[in-house]
Amino acid sequence: MTIRFAGALAVLLASLVLSVMVGASALSFHDTIFALGHPNVPSDAATIVWLLRLPRACLAAVVGAALGVSGAMLQGMLRNPLVDPYLTGVSAGAAAAIAIAVAAGVAAAFVPALGFAAGLLAAIIVATLSRRGSGLDANRLILAGVSLSALFSAIVALVLTRLQQGGYAETIISWLAGSLAGRGWHDLQWVAPYLVAGVGLAILVVPALNVLRLGDVRAAALGVNVDRAQWLIVASASLLTASAVALSGIVGFVGLIVPHIARRIVGSDTRLVLPFSALIGAAFMALADAASRSLFAPVEIPIGVLLACIGVPAFLYLYFRENRWRPA
Amino acid sequence: MIRIRGLALRVGGRTLLSELNFSIKAGELVAIVGPNGVGKTTLLRALCGLHREFSGEIAIQAQIIELYSPTQRSRAIAYVASDETMLEMLTVRDIVASGRFAYHRWFDWRETTHDGDVIAAALGAVSMLDFSDRLFATLSSGERQRIWLALGLAQDAPILLLDEPTSHLDVRVAHDILLLLRRQRDLGKTVVCVLHDINEALEFADRILILGGGTLLAACEAAEVVPSGALERAYGITMEAVHTSNGSVRVFPRSSV
Repeated sequence: MTIRFAGALAVLLASLVLSVMVGASALSFHDTIFALGHPNVPSDAATIVWLLRLPRACLAAVVGAALGVSGAMLQGMLRNPLVDPYLTGVSAGAAAAIAIAVAAGVAAAFVPALGFAAGLLAAIIVATLSRRGSGLDANRLILAGVSLSALFSAIVALVLTRLQQGGYAETIISWLAGSLAGRGWHDLQWVAPYLVAGVGLAILVVPALNVLRLGDVRAAALGVNVDRAQWLIVASASLLTASAVALSGIVGFVGLIVPHIARRIVGSDTRLVLPFSALIGAAFMALADAASRSLFAPVEIPIGVLLACIGVPAFLYLYFRENRWRPA
Repeated sequence: MIRIRGLALRVGGRTLLSELNFSIKAGELVAIVGPNGVGKTTLLRALCGLHREFSGEIAIQAQIIELYSPTQRSRAIAYVASDETMLEMLTVRDIVASGRFAYHRWFDWRETTHDGDVIAAALGAVSMLDFSDRLFATLSSGERQRIWLALGLAQDAPILLLDEPTSHLDVRVAHDILLLLRRQRDLGKTVVCVLHDINEALEFADRILILGGGTLLAACEAAEVVPSGALERAYGITMEAVHTSNGSVRVFPRSSV
């Protein structure tokens, strides 16, 4: 297990270095490592690395890790492999709020924070709708999440159709497609407390999440406070997802797929699945961001689009090829 | 060990069972029988704090059930449920290890050597130690039932509650499970199980609780079950008792034709 951890960590570091190297002007491996090791020696490479690329690579990694952990927790709690972090309405809520804000001419600096708040609000509404007794009902959660997301998507569509003439539509679409363009340390700074809170709550529920694999009734019999665990999981997943959305817009696919890859590597033990989902998600997003910047440089492809176009076929190939060797 | 006073159980506002009064002593093996839908499973779940829609008193080890925290409760009572859950990718050991949840604080994720010993002992008690690394999904029904029992044993609780541990099992596998329960009783556990097969109850239980007509009809030893007439009242059919070569009693529905 230590070897697999070291491996995942090495892959993440390599992805980060690669992500720092590539872009509109490529840096050599030597220049990159030198600049990383000597932040105070002025050079073009140091400026590119420390001011532009490293913050962005780290941001990408944080987004990937947050979505990976959030997806793993929700899939585990609902025992449903089709669940993704946006299930609780976070992304749709954020998108609707951002669309309205951009159309209303709210300053760009406030948009991420607004998306974050609206995403959390949507999650709270979904969770409130899916209450049953003092706990949450899995089916209601999925239904409330899906239907509320549809409503929010309709609002986005409405705003977009009314905006066709103005230049705002482009801003909104870049949020919907997911992008890290122009983001830096300061973005990470204000999201950090919520990320830390989300991770803290996740650590709190890991043992319970492990027992919830056996079903709610058995988990309750084994001493899990199921209601409390469910609320903590939804709170943690929502905080992490809303933070990710505020940083990068809506990046699909990562939160759905990364937990599957993690389980393929380490089995279903939550104590391993969560950290591995974080590492794999981080590496995945760092690589995807590097590709989005460099494949058609100087044009950037939205990261969400890129992930879907390359990631989905690759994943389907790997997943179904391996499945042939497993008993049904 | 278990004391029930004036218990009424409701499900969705409807009263299922009422005026239940009985006690179960430490080290007893008690079977609960009764027709489908009478409330056997609900009673079992109420006994371990999972069904909260009731009035009256349920006391476990002289403390009422509502005062237990979830983890305290799980250290006192192991509930072996009958419902099947989809369990992909879980190994036998993963499942049995979950029995140790209540012995850990939230920040304490590591399995101790004591946990390892208890898990191994639980798997050994049901003769499934060699199956530790097998995927649960690949086991037969009888093997699965043994694993659920091992999960209950891993909780290291003095009371074992089992919901239909022998349903869907062939006669030999069912017999093996019941022998395992009897051994746990001999080792000092208090064992309460819901059984569908009255004859299993007659053969293995120290005492039988017969539920019917919305209440407890009888709580008696095997020999007194037939004379009490409670079985016929519970199921609403006439029954015929047969004595086996070793002197115990078996009952069968008497054909009305």
